Amino acid sequence: MSSVTTRPALRVRPGIVLRQMLAERRRTLAWWSVSIAALAAIIGASYPTVKDFGSQLEELLRQLPRGVIELMGAGGGLVSPEGYLNSRFYSGLFPILLLVFGIMVAAWTVAGAEREGTLEPLLANPVSRTRVALERFAGTAVLLAMLTFVGTAVFVVLRGPFELTSLGVGRLVAAGVGVFLLAMVFTALTFATGAATGNKGAAIAAGAGAAAATYLVFALAAFVEFFGNLRWLSPWDWFLSPSPLTDGWTAWAVWPPLLVIAVAVALGTALFARRDLR
Amino acid sequence: MAEAPLIEIRQLTKRFGELTAVDSLDLTVRAGEIYGLLGPNGAGKSTTIRSLMGFVRPTAGHAGLLGGTAHDLALRARVGYVGGDVVLDRGLRAGELLRWYGDLRGGVGRARVGELCERLALDPGRRIGQLSSGNRQKVAIVQAFMHDPDVLVLDEPTAGLDPLLQRSVLQLVRDRRDAGAAVLFSSHLLPEVEDIADRVGILRTGRLVREDTIANLREIARHRLELRFATDLPPGLLDGVDGVAAVEVDGRTAQLVVDGSVAELVRRVAGYGVERIISHDDDLEDIFFTYYQAEEDAR
Repeated sequence: MSSVTTRPALRVRPGIVLRQMLAERRRTLAWWSVSIAALAAIIGASYPTVKDFGSQLEELLRQLPRGVIELMGAGGGLVSPEGYLNSRFYSGLFPILLLVFGIMVAAWTVAGAEREGTLEPLLANPVSRTRVALERFAGTAVLLAMLTFVGTAVFVVLRGPFELTSLGVGRLVAAGVGVFLLAMVFTALTFATGAATGNKGAAIAAGAGAAAATYLVFALAAFVEFFGNLRWLSPWDWFLSPSPLTDGWTAWAVWPPLLVIAVAVALGTALFARRDLR
Repeated sequence: MAEAPLIEIRQLTKRFGELTAVDSLDLTVRAGEIYGLLGPNGAGKSTTIRSLMGFVRPTAGHAGLLGGTAHDLALRARVGYVGGDVVLDRGLRAGELLRWYGDLRGGVGRARVGELCERLALDPGRRIGQLSSGNRQKVAIVQAFMHDPDVLVLDEPTAGLDPLLQRSVLQLVRDRRDAGAAVLFSSHLLPEVEDIADRVGILRTGRLVREDTIANLREIARHRLELRFATDLPPGLLDGVDGVAAVEVDGRTAQLVVDGSVAELVRRVAGYGVERIISHDDDLEDIFFTYYQAEEDAR
């Protein structure tokens, strides 16, 4: 006689994979937060000094060709709070830090875990591939959002001492959401490639390669007609022209990234659910 | 009417590009049965098991368990799995991983986990990355058994364990069998499977070349034995012994190859002061040399 039984339907609380992932990355998140906060604070604290040089710099800027100014992220001038933050932080340093972090984590979610061999034992549990992939992508988004929040919060909280008061909180929030979505585009491409192929190297190459290529298009668009015609394809262009710091919320900074992210994640997850594990 | 098998593999074929890893495999394991899947490395054991677990999709055929497949989460919740090369999240403490996996299965009693850890002498407070490979294997074993699964799929589960622990694990497997579970147990070591399996299948280059009871397989197995005597052997002592395929004598030491039973050999040397008997449990390929050879010649 066998004791094999029929058991009640399995009820597993959602979010277990996500919570586990966040718990495992507390320390990493803390270090990255400290670094980003420190960078933001240094850049913010330097603003009062830069402003004092203001008139001379603006003079210099007026003589530069339009493309160079855009490349510097200085469309809004260099010495206005928005122009300064845009050129020093939001048009390069901040998105690059975020997307490096995002690509690193996203490459691990499926492909990296598969390569280290931890994905298979996890999937021997009654949890679907789709759920593992989606919860881990959500986990990546949460971590990235936290880092974006830290960077943004530094400017919001220290607007007074940094003499950035003419810059509204609303614009800082818009810029934060914009830069988050920009980094999420490349994070999503990394995730999707890793999920679809199980190849961590390919995943990183896809995310980092797309980021570099589209940055190139954005940077050269003002000088080379060929790239100028392609600039609408570049997430950097969606986010930076015009910058939410100067223009507030723009549809381009929000909807195209969301669309790319949604399509990439849906495709990557669907392919992951069908393929062989490596 | 016979009870439906808990593991049912029908005409399973899995190809990776040009390579056919598993070829038209039929295999069933009933409730309360331990099936030993034997074969040299690369024979297709892991691919068979990974198909059964839903990690790879069959090119053709069916790999089912508990009346469905592992893609059905409610069925997968009733399966315990130990993979070939065990890698568990190194940053986690053993206890954290066990709790996490327990939660994923809808909750596993702490008492059961504690009991298993104790039985295998595993300290759940240690980080998995800091554990020896044997201890990591124990974590894998505990997670596979902690929810009292109805089906156990074990890919070389005792690799890296010392003999004492190996026994503990085999006893765990037997306990589950006695409780009515179906166990698929892969190994490339004959003695281990001999010890535990009710039925054995031998896999070679993706095909099941023989399926039988242990008793019958013993008949065709080939042993390499080394006998050491207290004194020089009397000439001719080992000539014409039933089952002995080859003998080489060097002073007090005799090297023998025995097909099947060693009963006749033991009878012959009794009273001649055998000091040591050394058994070389070589690779499966070697043990089933004759059998594989016959297969090869037939092609």
